[in-house]
Amino acid sequence: MLELQHVSKSYNKGKVKAVDDLSLVVQPGEIFGFLGPNGAGKTTTIKMIVGLLKPDTGTIGLNGLDTQKDALKCKSITTYVPDYPAIYERLTGMEYLNFIGDVYGVMKKDRLERIEKWLEIFELAQAVASPIQSYSHGMKQKIVLIAALLPAPQVMVLDEPMVGLDPRASHHLKELMREHCDQGKTLFFSTHIMEVAEKLCDRIGIINKGKLIACGTMEELRKLDKEQSLEHIFLDLTEK
Amino acid sequence: MKKLLTLIRVALKVNFGLSLLYHRVIRQKKDIWVVPVAVLVLVSIIPMIYGYVKLLAAMYGALRQVGQEQALLTFALLAGQFLILVFGFYYVISAFYFSRDLEMLIPLPLRPFEVMLSKFSVILVNEYLTVLVIVAPPIVYYGIQSRAGFAFWTNALILYLLLPVIPLAIVSILVVGMMRVVNLSRKKDALIIVGSLVLISAALGLQFVFARSGRSELDGQAMVKFFASPDSLLKQIGAGFPPSIWATKALAGGFSGSGLLHLIIFAGVSLVLFYGMLVAAENLFYRGLVGIGEISGRRKILSQAEMSRRVSSGRRPVQAIFWREWRIMNRTPIFLLNGVLTAFLLPVIFVIMAKAGSGDNTFILMLAMTSPKPVYVILGSACILLVCGCLNGTSSSTFSREGGQFWMSKVIPVSPREQVTAKFAHSYIIALLGIIAGAVMLIFGLHLKLAPCAAAILFALVGAVGMTAVGMIIDLARPLLEWTNPQKAIKQNMNVVFSLLANMGALAILGFFSYFLLKAGVPGNTILVLVFAALLLFSWISSLFLLRFSDKKYMEIEV
Repeated sequence: MLELQHVSKSYNKGKVKAVDDLSLVVQPGEIFGFLGPNGAGKTTTIKMIVGLLKPDTGTIGLNGLDTQKDALKCKSITTYVPDYPAIYERLTGMEYLNFIGDVYGVMKKDRLERIEKWLEIFELAQAVASPIQSYSHGMKQKIVLIAALLPAPQVMVLDEPMVGLDPRASHHLKELMREHCDQGKTLFFSTHIMEVAEKLCDRIGIINKGKLIACGTMEELRKLDKEQSLEHIFLDLTEK
Repeated sequence: MKKLLTLIRVALKVNFGLSLLYHRVIRQKKDIWVVPVAVLVLVSIIPMIYGYVKLLAAMYGALRQVGQEQALLTFALLAGQFLILVFGFYYVISAFYFSRDLEMLIPLPLRPFEVMLSKFSVILVNEYLTVLVIVAPPIVYYGIQSRAGFAFWTNALILYLLLPVIPLAIVSILVVGMMRVVNLSRKKDALIIVGSLVLISAALGLQFVFARSGRSELDGQAMVKFFASPDSLLKQIGAGFPPSIWATKALAGGFSGSGLLHLIIFAGVSLVLFYGMLVAAENLFYRGLVGIGEISGRRKILSQAEMSRRVSSGRRPVQAIFWREWRIMNRTPIFLLNGVLTAFLLPVIFVIMAKAGSGDNTFILMLAMTSPKPVYVILGSACILLVCGCLNGTSSSTFSREGGQFWMSKVIPVSPREQVTAKFAHSYIIALLGIIAGAVMLIFGLHLKLAPCAAAILFALVGAVGMTAVGMIIDLARPLLEWTNPQKAIKQNMNVVFSLLANMGALAILGFFSYFLLKAGVPGNTILVLVFAALLLFSWISSLFLLRFSDKKYMEIEV
């Protein structure tokens, strides 16, 4: 479970409020889609959840643990995929996956089984022995996704994970996200693709100018805006 | 032309982070601490400049007695140009070929020479700043002492502006040629390293040959003839690099026929080489640049057995981070050249300087090493070993080198202490390599005996713990994570300079401490024990502080 309580973050000595008193809960087994225009505060929120940024106020809880007080425990049950795959380009794909396996303490048997499975699904098996520097953008995104899946985390936090993926990989990712949550685990992701959010998410949150302006299931959001598509709801809500 | 000027302006702004600095200091009032730190750095340079001027005064006095004072100018100009030749190489290769903004510049409607010129101008400005400290004091001192007039100062300004052009143009032409060849190969990184080593060795070799030729023995008659001519010494010093002679004559001659003639020759040669560089840029630059970052990975599906072998059976997090550091450092040419290879290069430079007899501080250390008192030999050698091991910038750039990938260190479930321990182990091993290389050089190059060398190694091993920790503390306090050119993370990183100053300061304090004990008549062995205890204390306190500091600082760094 992921729980944000009155979380705020500002830049420029408080002049720019990136996230303003944000509270939300993502239940176990739930895929939560986080939507918002550019600069609305999505990435800032995500970075606070995974510990890259420190909230000015408020608390973030993961499975009952406080991300500030129990940082290490929280990190050991969470994996994160950033919006841009800035990873160790001088390592080979396999060295990178081994590094992630080592720091998360994944056993050899599980490691081998999972790496083989994900490499095949994402069609990356033939590139895994090559330096990441030789990968295309989409391939880098795939290796980051495999690395995030490798520790079989309780919570996955993904920032625009579909960017750069080909349609097949994108389809597999959506299936994997569903599978992850069907095991009772939590998934929080941001996206600009309304169709994906509409079809995949159990609940959706829309953030604008740092404030959560809508949150609920697709049905609940439709009630807010005369039962239109998510795209229309998003446009109407973020226009204000 | 307007396009070129805009490009140069943007390149300068990006390189020196002017827009970012303005935004943070003036607008956000965030990095306001930069101002006092900059003042502090400038103030800390003053004692060094003072010492330099004192040395120049002594040199000028001695040269004047034999009517050879112009040689002071040749010395300054030659030193400045050699500095550019050796270090300019690092700058040129990384700015021309490893800046990340090049990917954005290549598709723009710009000619290859325009792109290269924008990068060249950044290096030029960098060199003006570096060379200013070396070249300005001797020229100014000479000018004041010789009561030079308007012509001298005008020529001095022109020469200062032209000074980096000849060495930088030579280096640029060599690098552009080398990279054209490198880009033909699949093993680009290896070739870059080999090519760089060949060029740096050639520059160092030249320095050695010139320095040796500058102190050749003269018989009585030749000596009389030598001192009869006012420019014989400058000719000898500058023989290997004639531009330094032309520049000296242009300075000393002022607006006279000889002065102007030599100024025109210097400017003409600068211009010709600059033009040659532009021609090389237009024809070879893009052919060496396009695709240089591409690594053609072997694409093959691993067999079940191979996959099982390659999937690690699990390392401890500290080991995993250590190997990550090791691999990334050694596989990134710029990091390898500045880190590991510098650790090996420093002892070579030391021996060259010692054999050539140049460098005031080397002379003092040489005196200490050849002294009959073991305490001098051991402490002098330990000092050289520490310089060889710890001044390569590995520890003081360990966090900065992560750059945009630091987010991974923030999200992995490994405590800051464990991460810092792994990084420390990596930096310490590089220091160890430098110490071993230094010891080999001391034994085989300077014929140091084994017993004092072993004692010096022991002192250096303990001192290196503290020096590595100090470097890491400085880098952790303000890691430089936003860079587009890997050179910025290590060579142009102020943390490396601060760490160097701090560690040299620590060595100086220990040096004074031993000196006063000796003066006070304390026996040599007691001094050795006391210095060893001081090194132990220094290393223990700094490594303890590093661990505590990491707990706090890792939380604070936001990416």
